[in-house]
Amino acid sequence: MSILEYNGAAMIAMAGKDCVGIAADRRLGIQAQTVSTDFTKVFKMNDNIHVGLGGLATDVQTLHNVLKFRMGLYELREEREMTPQVFSHLLSTLLYEKRFGPYFVEPIVAGLDDKNKPFLSSMDLIGAPVQTKDFVVSGTCTGNLYGMCETLYKPDLEADALFETLAQALLASVDRDALSGWGGVVHIITKDGVTTRELKGRQD
Amino acid sequence: MARRYDSSTTTFSPEGRLHQVEYAIEAINNAGTCVGILARDGIVMASERRITSGLLAPAKTSEKTYKLCPHAACNVAGLTADANILIDQARLRAGRYHYQYQEPIPVEQLVEHVCNYKQSYTQYGGLRPFGVAFLFAGYDEKHGFQLYQSDPSGNYSGWKATVIGANNQAGKSLLKSEYGSSSAEMADEGEETSPDVAGALRLAVKVLNKTMDGTAAAAEKMELFTMTLDESSEVVHHILTQKEAQEVIDQVEAETASAGDS
Repeated sequence: MSILEYNGAAMIAMAGKDCVGIAADRRLGIQAQTVSTDFTKVFKMNDNIHVGLGGLATDVQTLHNVLKFRMGLYELREEREMTPQVFSHLLSTLLYEKRFGPYFVEPIVAGLDDKNKPFLSSMDLIGAPVQTKDFVVSGTCTGNLYGMCETLYKPDLEADALFETLAQALLASVDRDALSGWGGVVHIITKDGVTTRELKGRQD
Repeated sequence: MARRYDSSTTTFSPEGRLHQVEYAIEAINNAGTCVGILARDGIVMASERRITSGLLAPAKTSEKTYKLCPHAACNVAGLTADANILIDQARLRAGRYHYQYQEPIPVEQLVEHVCNYKQSYTQYGGLRPFGVAFLFAGYDEKHGFQLYQSDPSGNYSGWKATVIGANNQAGKSLLKSEYGSSSAEMADEGEETSPDVAGALRLAVKVLNKTMDGTAAAAEKMELFTMTLDESSEVVHHILTQKEAQEVIDQVEAETASAGDS
């Protein structure tokens, strides 16, 4: 049993034309037993940054609170909002500080930088970051997620098409994974705001 | 006589005084004035902007008003460098409380934390006290809007209206006569009613006019700050723009002009 597979998760973030989307499943389980079908794994940190935290649920919630605390301090001291790149670095250093007793979370960051261009990054549980132009995935079915993304992804999709692509990629991937699924949520972020939609999927 | 007992913070004088603390308080009486007024629907803090040189490039939004957390802010009178340390302490405390309890820190607890930190510099270590006085403005669910004043000794108290910095005695005497009688209707029993934010702004400008005495009231010499609740009950921190400040100053000017006529 891997500690990263204890609760279950599936997450994707994708870049479109001047927009980003981030999607996650809704399941919270304790190994085989499903406990909640509305567990939040994607968090809005500010108008330009969403973070998806997949892994051990207690660390998901704790890390979210730690990030809120750190972002709050940054905004008070610097009198400006954090950009996604800065946030991603902060997250990376936070995770590495716990190098020998890590948070069991593998996060993905999605946002729009100060020029409203898409920003995507993901990292492992000790903070090794990776920045991409197309998509990032995380969770208990990353094999499925990578396959679906490689197949369905096209660059420069508009917000509505990006939503469809994200939704289909997520739903198809979680069906073959016992630990993720039970619905989904997709956030599409543009410079004008965030649109959030719930997905209807197989409830098993 | 005081000479022998005033160089160490941690020693009482024979009269039972801590001279270093008193000297720190003196330092603040030379600083730019800050007025704080508790209104029915919010808090107003107004401060004197001392523009020392036209060449100064302002690094932050304000050198007087600082946000401590989403529901609290403070005004500073005294040594800005000392204040920066305390403001950071306050911000950390508010953040850590929220992290631990997932709830905003009660305003008095935040004030008390800063004050306890100040107090330790009057009792331990042989370091000098902080030369800063604060006006804290905050909102919490239990007690609503609150205004607190603190000084270098670490002492604090809650106020309906108060003044710190240069000429604070003149400001306080004006508040004593005008706070509560500045609202249009008084309660029948003659008890004092608090003004609304607009009324409090005008009163604050009046006080600054008095404490800034020789100099003419101008929008760029004052900083006006308000704390209120919006429609979704979120706390709003607002530093008035030059235009908004000028409107308040003009209203006060009109009031005092017509008062002279009657």
